[in-house]
Amino acid sequence: MVSGRKAYFLGKTIRYAFTFSLILSLNFALPRMMPGDPIVNLLGEEALHNDPRMKELLRAEHGLDKPLHIQYLNYLRSLAGIDLGYSIHKNLSVVELITDSLGWTLLLVFPSVIIGSTLALLFGSLSGFKSKSLADFLLTAGALLFYTCPPFLLAMLLLSTFSFHLGLFPLGNLTTGGKVGIDYALDVAWHLFLPVAALSLLGASYKFLVVRNSVTQILDEQFIVAARAKGLKETRILTRHVIRNVLPPFISMVAISLGFMVSGALIVEIVFSLNGMGTLIYDAVVARDYPVMQGCFLVLTVCVLAANFAADMLYAIADPRIGGWR
Amino acid sequence: MKAKKGPVPLSRIKLIGLSILSLFLVMAIFAPIIAPNDPRETRTPYQPPSQEHYLGTNDIGQDILSELIYASRVSLTIGFLAGLISVTIGATLGILAGYYRGGMEELVMATSDVVLLVPGLPLMIILAAYLSPSMWNIVLAVGLLWWCSTARVVHSRVLQLREMPFVEAARSLGGGDGYIMLNHILINTKEIIYAKFALAVASAMLTEASLSFLGLGDPLNISWGEMIHFAFSRGGFANDMWWWYLPPGLMICACVLGFVMISMEPERSQKALEP
Repeated sequence: MVSGRKAYFLGKTIRYAFTFSLILSLNFALPRMMPGDPIVNLLGEEALHNDPRMKELLRAEHGLDKPLHIQYLNYLRSLAGIDLGYSIHKNLSVVELITDSLGWTLLLVFPSVIIGSTLALLFGSLSGFKSKSLADFLLTAGALLFYTCPPFLLAMLLLSTFSFHLGLFPLGNLTTGGKVGIDYALDVAWHLFLPVAALSLLGASYKFLVVRNSVTQILDEQFIVAARAKGLKETRILTRHVIRNVLPPFISMVAISLGFMVSGALIVEIVFSLNGMGTLIYDAVVARDYPVMQGCFLVLTVCVLAANFAADMLYAIADPRIGGWR
Repeated sequence: MKAKKGPVPLSRIKLIGLSILSLFLVMAIFAPIIAPNDPRETRTPYQPPSQEHYLGTNDIGQDILSELIYASRVSLTIGFLAGLISVTIGATLGILAGYYRGGMEELVMATSDVVLLVPGLPLMIILAAYLSPSMWNIVLAVGLLWWCSTARVVHSRVLQLREMPFVEAARSLGGGDGYIMLNHILINTKEIIYAKFALAVASAMLTEASLSFLGLGDPLNISWGEMIHFAFSRGGFANDMWWWYLPPGLMICACVLGFVMISMEPERSQKALEP
């Protein structure tokens, strides 16, 4: 008999392993079941422009004439060797393209998740605590506004206001170039300020609304009445009783929102012309460069999956109740 | 708990939402009457706003205001249909999972776990890139991937409902599973489903806008997102022609806001409602 906590870890691991294998299979199945010739779907639209007779040769070379289960095994084998195919359009391997871009996207997503979540938790609990006040009204209205704003519009407005018109920030790109050491880091931070701001606001808006909602609900609970009755100060009620109860569901919400944040980052990158995964996908969409799209999808999904897995593990360690009731 | 008969008075926030949406609906239905020009007619390109063209003209000389008005048809249709598909799938799966429990519940929850984890946009980009660019394919891609949150909320509500006395009474009177799910469970979840539907339309419109912004939209049916795509990729944004990219953006915001507002419940103590 395994203890509750071990069972929790085991259950989560099995569930994530299952999800992971499903994603791998989906990535395998998509180019083969979608309309169009699988060889075009696997090599990109530019693969066959030269010679139609090459088609059969290429088909044999990529094993597409073999039965599906052999193809699947070959696919897994090439994945194990970190081979995601080749982009004929860019004349580079997909893995190489992605390693160049992934770091920048993570550098955009990571601070945005942290800043956005902190803002949401801070203002959400304040707003819920002082519900129906003027500050609450303004904050909620602002959050709704950002929530309804499509990511590219917010990014475009920030870029147009602060870079075009006020000239406070660069118009795009990641660095000015020719800098080293601390200057380089500061330069990158200056370039990333607006994109991170846009993404943080987008991520914060939804989380703010959820936090505010759960705080107003918790304030209805009996134990808050009891805390008030025994004469605790309002700030102490907020920090000790309210936030403590908002925190666990908040952590899982932040983890779940990672997929959304990655999606948002792709769009923000395109507007600010940062050379991350978003720009890579955008170029691939324009050129119908399918192997790059698939590779990006796989890598991004695995990243989100890994982050969620880590969050679930942390959650189990942070929440003492897990182990008892699972 | 007995549902009150008769019309429920609408909260102020829902009324505002409804009026925003009816404005958009009128705009979409009567587009040919309201629009000053035929949006396909081409004249001098890149005109700034003037008496003749209130919002100027785009890169091939089409009147932007007329394009904007006609685009409301596309954006609303895509959002509405994708929301309908996702809520239908989500509510059906949620009710089945909550009512039958067991293997069905495990399957639905595990699937929604997987779908929730996958970053939506990259997958939709791939789907939209493989399928031919048409608004129906976007409807499918968005609708089929957005049902999870509805399924989860409906599921947890059904878990409460199935233990309630009136469901047990219906069962002891010989009501079949189908009858109970349709006449007792569905009826009592309909408020959640309505709210989720409005939110699903809102997210579907935002997702469609992002896909179209990436150039995956239907070239024959221009939506607001696609207008911004053209403004962005054909120099409208770089040349600071705000009259080209800002109005469609504001339209998306206002429309999404309308849908979010009609989904909002007036604030009251939830405790008071519990039996």
